[in-house]
Amino acid sequence: MAKQRKILVIEDDKSLRGAIVDVLRLKNFLPLEASNGQEGLGMALAEHPDLILLDLLMPVMNGMEALKKIRENEWGKNVPVIVLTVRSATDEKLIEDITSLRPAYYLIKSDWKIHDVVKKIDKILSGKE
Amino acid sequence: MIKKLFNNFVAIFIFCFFAMIGSVLAPIAVSAATNTLAQSKTNSQLEKVAPGELLPVSVKLSNFGGGVKVDVYIKYSITNNQGGEIYSTSDTVAVETTANFTKNLQVPSDIAAGTYIAKTSIIYQGQLTSASSQFTFIVENKILGVFQSDFFLYAGIAVAAGAVLIILTRLFIRRVRLTRFTPLDYRNVPADDRVFYEILSDSIMQMRNHVGDSAIIIAANIKGLNIDEKTGRVLGFTDNPSKVIANLVSEYEKQLGKKVSFSLLRDKIE
Repeated sequence: MAKQRKILVIEDDKSLRGAIVDVLRLKNFLPLEASNGQEGLGMALAEHPDLILLDLLMPVMNGMEALKKIRENEWGKNVPVIVLTVRSATDEKLIEDITSLRPAYYLIKSDWKIHDVVKKIDKILSGKE
Repeated sequence: MIKKLFNNFVAIFIFCFFAMIGSVLAPIAVSAATNTLAQSKTNSQLEKVAPGELLPVSVKLSNFGGGVKVDVYIKYSITNNQGGEIYSTSDTVAVETTANFTKNLQVPSDIAAGTYIAKTSIIYQGQLTSASSQFTFIVENKILGVFQSDFFLYAGIAVAAGAVLIILTRLFIRRVRLTRFTPLDYRNVPADDRVFYEILSDSIMQMRNHVGDSAIIIAANIKGLNIDEKTGRVLGFTDNPSKVIANLVSEYEKQLGKKVSFSLLRDKIE
């Protein structure tokens, strides 16, 4: 039996996080959950997930801050990250962060269905993208 | 004297016998003496008629009896393949030299589809044996004014043509999509700048996918951004690239009401 891939979902919206986790389970992934950046950072460094799904606007520690710290870690330098946010990339600083921290995707929540996001996860992990 | 002459020399010939359907002629050449059985030759391409329609039969009679007028009794009939008579009618025609006319036979409206025989026989005074000629025709129902077999043929052709058209259209759309929405390759751009080119390019293509070429027009008007206005390819920027991207995304949101997602996974373009 193939090893289940760990996906860390860092999202403060409980209902959205729950929906994503449910779909990931259905697709035979092993989902991990965190409700803010700080909790997500701790879980990422402890669990070394195969991919991180990251919201940007969160309490305690925002997503971009968490991603910076993940990238500073040796393990986290190359872990694939998908940013899933409502925030449009309309400021210069955010673009600079995105280009330096290199998430695989910057996706606007309203434009994407959970199943399509999971398809992207699947493609990234199977090396098709 | 006249009667003797008549008996010995008068010959009525059904000279030519046509079945006409519309403008199509199906000739059946008949040469028949009055007291001999008709010899007939029919065209192999059978004519079609629908139940209730008229079957036009062209008749030509020639009198070789020296100009003496003769009353000829003509019987028309339609029989099925078993010889059963479905319809019959008759006329009497006076023939001095020749007579040409078309007789419309009423095909019964309750006749079953199939192959039938139209037969014309002539009898004139003193003759014991009739001369006759016949031809075969097909009775076929019509659908929307077209014979059933033709209707199915045309419908088949229309369906096949429609299917071909749909396939060609889909291929064309796919080709256009591939041409327009395949990520452009920026491997020729220095690695430090490449990510900015790719984000810009991704954003333009994504918006072009949503709203068409107006996405390119908006991009072309972003200060500091230089693009190919035909393909949307990013040619370069003269301002801080992060600022250019932020301005482009802002303009799309402002003018089109859409936020922009993008991919940074472009290293694997083959």
